Amino acid sequence: MKYALVLLTVFKQPFYLLLTVLLSIVVFTVAVWLPSFQLISIVSQTASLSELLSLLWSLYGAIGSNFSTTSATYTIMIAVLFGMNASLLTYYIRRMRTGSPNVKGVGVTGIGGLVSGVFGIGCAACGTFIFTSVLALFGVGGILAYLPFGGEEFGFLGVALLVYSVYSLTKKITDPLVCPI
Amino acid sequence: MEEQINSKQPNQFLIPVAILIAGLFVAGALYFSGTGSGPAPVVNNGNNQPVAQAPEPTGSTDAVRLVGETDHIKGNPDAPIKIVEYSDFECPFCKRFHDTMNEVMDKYGDSGEVAWVFRQFPLEQLHPVKAQLAAVASECAAELGGNDAFWSFTDGYFADPSTGNNRTNQDVLIPELAAAAGLDSAQFSECLESGRHDERIAADSQNAIETGGRGTPWSVMIGPDGTTYPINGAQPLAAIEQLISIAQNTQ
Repeated sequence: MKYALVLLTVFKQPFYLLLTVLLSIVVFTVAVWLPSFQLISIVSQTASLSELLSLLWSLYGAIGSNFSTTSATYTIMIAVLFGMNASLLTYYIRRMRTGSPNVKGVGVTGIGGLVSGVFGIGCAACGTFIFTSVLALFGVGGILAYLPFGGEEFGFLGVALLVYSVYSLTKKITDPLVCPI
Repeated sequence: MEEQINSKQPNQFLIPVAILIAGLFVAGALYFSGTGSGPAPVVNNGNNQPVAQAPEPTGSTDAVRLVGETDHIKGNPDAPIKIVEYSDFECPFCKRFHDTMNEVMDKYGDSGEVAWVFRQFPLEQLHPVKAQLAAVASECAAELGGNDAFWSFTDGYFADPSTGNNRTNQDVLIPELAAAAGLDSAQFSECLESGRHDERIAADSQNAIETGGRGTPWSVMIGPDGTTYPINGAQPLAAIEQLISIAQNTQ
């Protein structure tokens, strides 16, 4: 209950709500446009601004066509959780600015969640997960064949780490401000 | 007291450093997913053995092979805009994109503005045996029944709700589709076992890789002025329509 109150306290403030929404949109946009970066680059050199903007807008539809239901779900969750995570971290650091912040654990977990999520997101079309490229870089691309969800595991891991990070930050915020002995 | 303050110094840099590291990971991931410097997919040579030396992906859509008489084309072969799709019969996203392309052809096909060129790109690692068999079967349909039989087989395969993800019951479906296309079953069986289309399928797949394809569906749209546009994955109908509009305006 007290954790819910903390979340309410933070996100009732327009600054943190706006920060969360903006960061969530940025992460979501990168995930959906990721497979089309090369196309966007080519079109931006020849098309008018209005044509480019229309194309960019239409590419958001890829969340329905270019993602499985599972990958679309965790991509949206990662985007929202990342936005929340960054806002809570900002709130915590600002509040503790005069104290002695110890955000080591939550910071690393949050970053780990983002990195893991990034490996899992991207175009879910057959064989094009980012993780496929990264694994192949280390010469172990074949390991995907042994993963039951073909690489989507890293999306789940990203969600789990970000949820834990949000929980940890919320818990830290509720901790009383005391000087360590 | 001063010692205690100094001992806290590393924590001040922990978050920025962690963000920097994460940024490098993200940048690396974007780089390796977007420039075609990633792995070459395993190309099937027909015997379900990887081809020894698949070419490294160059990421250049200009490497798309010229559309010719041997291609499977829906619509006007001389259309100013050609969408060359490299597809895997067992890929569920190819199934979605097949529907999208049929809608594109419903809108732009009759006027002769757009042609759809279908090339093979079976992903052996993801859909072993079945993707290759379906590709061979579609080529046999084309050999024995021409372009109409090819599209009858291909449309039928993707339209069947039980196909995809390497779970298709091909023993039942392929003969059914061959019969529906009016093909002789004995000749069709002989063709399936002959292996004579393996080279063509491997060539299509290698061309997909040369153009930057690392997954399916992968498409290259060729505009009226020869500009090539990569279409990665099952992009939505609205995006394809917008891209056609952009290509038309660059004439």
